[in-house]
Formats: sequence, C-alpha cells, structure tokens
Amino acid sequence: MSGIIEVENLSFGYMRQGLILKELSFEVMPGTFLAIAGPNGAGKTTLLNLLCGLLSPNAGFIKIDSANIHSYSVKELAQKVAVVRQEFVPVFDFTVTEMVSMARTPYLGIFGFESISDREIVNEAMEATDTAQFATRTLGSLSGGERQRVFIARALAQNTTILLLDEPTSFLDFKHQVGIYDLLKTAQLEKGKTVVAVTHDINLAAQYADVALLLGGDCSYHIGKAEDIFSLEQIERVFGVKTFAGKVGEGKFFLPLGKLAKDSSIITANINKDEKE
Amino acid sequence: MAEILTSKNLVIKVSIGLAVLAVIMCLCALIGTQKISLEKALAGPGDKPGENIDYEIFVGVRLPRVILAALVGAALACSGVVLQAILRNPLADPYILGISSGAGLGVIIAVLSGVSFSFWGGSPIAAFAFTGAIITVWLVWFIGHFTGKSQVTSLLLAGVVINAFFSAVIMFLISIAKSQELRSTVLWLMGNITEKDFSELRVSAVCILGGIIGLFTISQKLNVLTFGEEEAKALGVDTGQSKVVAFGFAAFITAVAVGLSGLIGFVGLIIPHGVRLVFGPDHRQLLPLSAIIGSIFLIIADTIARVIVAPAQLPVGVITAIAGGPFFLILLARYSRKVSWLK
Repeated sequence: MSGIIEVENLSFGYMRQGLILKELSFEVMPGTFLAIAGPNGAGKTTLLNLLCGLLSPNAGFIKIDSANIHSYSVKELAQKVAVVRQEFVPVFDFTVTEMVSMARTPYLGIFGFESISDREIVNEAMEATDTAQFATRTLGSLSGGERQRVFIARALAQNTTILLLDEPTSFLDFKHQVGIYDLLKTAQLEKGKTVVAVTHDINLAAQYADVALLLGGDCSYHIGKAEDIFSLEQIERVFGVKTFAGKVGEGKFFLPLGKLAKDSSIITANINKDEKE
Repeated sequence: MAEILTSKNLVIKVSIGLAVLAVIMCLCALIGTQKISLEKALAGPGDKPGENIDYEIFVGVRLPRVILAALVGAALACSGVVLQAILRNPLADPYILGISSGAGLGVIIAVLSGVSFSFWGGSPIAAFAFTGAIITVWLVWFIGHFTGKSQVTSLLLAGVVINAFFSAVIMFLISIAKSQELRSTVLWLMGNITEKDFSELRVSAVCILGGIIGLFTISQKLNVLTFGEEEAKALGVDTGQSKVVAFGFAAFITAVAVGLSGLIGFVGLIIPHGVRLVFGPDHRQLLPLSAIIGSIFLIIADTIARVIVAPAQLPVGVITAIAGGPFFLILLARYSRKVSWLK
C-alpha cells in the first residue's frame, strides 16, 4: 500500500532566505495521525502550506493520492485535502451553519446552492463536533474553543480524506485542547481520516499521534513512531532547553524546566533516571 | 438547526423585493411639481399628441428618470457589496478605490478639451468617463499587486492614493477653467440624475443587469473570499480568477453608473451594510437584495431631490449624503441578525 501523502526530496526556501526545508522525504499512510513538531521557524507551517498546495517546492515533489499535488485543480484538491488554520474571526458575521456549509463550495454548481445531501453532510458534521447547538449564532459570539470546533466541523463537512491542521489548540485552555484532539482522534478512527497536525504541544502530540515528524530548525528532521521521536534527548536537542520527562502509564510527558533547571539535580522522576535505574 | 439558504427561499425574497420596487417606481413617478393621476397616466396616450398630458409626463419624463435611478442604485450597491467582499473591508465602496474620481477626471478633461456636454449614449463625455474609470481600476490593480504581497491592504492603499491624486487634479482643473459648462460639470460631480430616453436606458440596463448577473454567478465564492486567499483556496476557490471577474464586473457597472449620473456617494457603502445587518452576509442573497434596495433608495432620494426645492432640483448626491448617514445609523440601532423572520 502506498502512502496517501508522499513527500520526496522536498526543498523549500523563501526568496533571499536560505532553505527552510531540505531534501525532506516521508510518506503518510491512509488513516494515520501525523504530528509535525519543531521549534519556531523550523518550517512547520511552511510544510503545511506545501502539503495543501499553497506553496510550490523549490525541488522535489509532493504526491496526494498517488498524483502530483500540482496536477490537481484548486477545486479537485479541496475535495481531497481540508485545512484548519490557526484561529481567526471573519470580517463579516456569518452564522455557524453558514460557515460550516461553505465546506461544500468545491462540490457546488454555478449558482452555488447546496443540495439536500450537502445539507445532510453539513448537519452531520455539526452533530459530530457538537456545534449544532450554536447553529444560529455568529462566529464572533463564540469562544475560542467553540470557534475551533466550528472550523473542524467545516473541515469534516468538506468530506476529504486528509485533514491538515495548523496549531489547532493554540489559544485554548486544557479542557478545550483535549476536546479538540479527542475530536481529531475520533475522525481518524471512526471516519478513517488521515490527520496531519502542526503543533507546539509535544505532550498532546505524544498522546494522540501515531507518527511524528520533528523538524530540527537546521533542515534536519526525524520521522517515525511518535513514541520513538518524542524522546527526552530529541526534545532537548531540537528545542535547546533542559526538559523534564515523566511517564503516565505507557505515555510520556515533557516539561520545559526554565528556571527550575537550576535545581535539576533534585529531580526524582526523570525518565532517564528511571531507565538508568 | 439554522437553515441554509435555498434557491427557493431566495426566489421568494427577490420576488417580494421586486414587487415592492415596482410599487415604489410607480408611486415616485406620480410625484412631482406637476400633479398627475395614476388612472390618467395609465390610460394611454390618447388620439393626438398632448391630449393626455399625465400619460406623457409619466411615461415620457418621470418613468425613464425613475428607471435610471433604479439602475444606478442597483449598480452602485452591487459594486459596494463586491468590493467590500474582495477587499475584506466593510469601508470599501466604489469611491474609495478612486473609480469615481477616475471617471470624473475623464469628464473634466472632455469638457475642458471642448467637446459638447451631454452624458451617456453616443456622447464623447460618456466614453471619457468610462475610460477614466477603467484606467483607474487597472492602475489600482497594477499598483496594488506590484507593491506588495498583502494584496488587500495594497489595493486599498493604492485606491486611496489614486483617489486623492485624481481628486486633486480635478480640483486643479476646475479652478483654472473658465468654461461656461463648468456649472454642469460641478453638478455632475455632485451626482445628478436627469431625464433620459428609453433607447439610452436600454443599453445601460443591459450592461448593468448583465454585470449583476455575472456577479451573482460568483456570489458563493465571494462568501469564501471574505475569509482571505488562503482559506478560499483551501475551500476550492480559484482566488485569482474570481477576483479578476469580481473586480471586472464591479468596475464595469460602476463605470456605467458614473457615466450615467455622475458621482453619487454613499449608496455603495450604506446599502450593502444595511442589507447585511438585516439579512446577513451571505452574498447569494446580499447581492440581489442590495440591488433591489439600492434601487429603491436612489429612486426615493431622487424623488426628494426633484421636489424638495421645486421648481429647482438638487443633485441627488446631496440627498444620498444627507439622508444616508442617519438612515444607516437607524438601521444599525434597530436591527441585528436577531431579526430572524427576515432570514
């Protein structure tokens, strides 16, 4: 079985800047949850923009569903890949239903009216994300967490096999962070979606992702099983900060130590220490 | 669960709007310094010319003027809707981008270069106005795209700068001019609806209605474009192509409206806002309803302009500016999107 996303020798750099991504190659299998992590400026959002066809690589290629991403029209690509960007409030006051129904744009005819089946898909997505309760409210009147659910509802209503998300939990509190990742995991497991999420939250990524891509910021990268990629050594090396690693059952969590690093000699539950013992 | 707009729902709303528009057109055509009765006006011309003066005033003088106001109102309102959507700025209108001053400059140049002064329908003045508007749009588009990656801001800034520059050139040319037709030019610049014959109106109607239908075909894409280029592309909209179509049609209908009636402000700004406040921002209904309500607004404004200082007449641009502000504030205070029975 070949990957639903194939990236081969991809290099990209913005004009008058050096390369941000260099000879990047990886493959994402259908129905996988991939987390893309790395320090600021490592090229995470740039990679996401390449994966949704917004940017073109300087070298190499990206294949979606076995065809070069740029062989698709904008409309065809939107039927394969849905994108949820960092939270924003629209200029005009669309209701939640109006917002979610815009996901059907790539499927509409010349006058742009939704069919009965389009409306059913929209309602289904809103039920699945628990946003039907806000149906008549405007987006501006919702909290950040509620808005993010609406954007995920829109991505689900787009009926694509791939969901790309750019920091889906930035600005959200703990409860809403977990809620959003639960929602994505459900979409992956129950609907077979391939989820690719750019994130700064290593802990949530380590819990929910199957595969992780860690961009080093110096064009280096590591890809593999999330539990292997998110190790204390990798995290400390890539982010350049002393980190505490703990375990909850089989799962790991990481805490950047900051000021606490001065007292790191008295850390008792460090994963490395446990392993050494 | 909130309803998604259906074509049936839209047809009902547009039909009601058109019926109201027809009634307003008839009523306003009956109002004027010379009182006429509807019964006599609809009775026909009679056997010989001058036999039924009410009919002649109604059909020959007032109705064409009312139709002209309806066309110009619809064009300016739709243009405002589209420019606000593609520039993602509620303050955008056909004038902020300098389209009006471009057309105005075209007219001033035509007048000062000695061509006879009449508007639209074969006159070189109309061609100058139209050319001025189109060149302005091209300049705004070119500078906006040439200067920056953030195209919305660049386009707006380019529009503001070109508008200011052309306005200054107009003022300069007017202050050095000694032409006898200067008063007409100044009146035209203030926005003036005058009587036209049906043959002129037919061409204008085809242009404006054709442009509005063209814009309606991209109305769903306009919804998505209000989220910005990245979002619109992710939702399958070819943003470059849609923007060119939207800008092209909006510039075209604005140029036709400016060529017909000069610089009428406020319609392109307040009508989209008012309709959006009451009916919501879905462009599939915002566009046709703005066209209808823009028509009604300008017909009423022109009727007031005809009678308020009768027998003299005010430029309709004065009325739209005076009435538009308070009218918009009332709308803002009274309505919000909670007016569910209108949706």
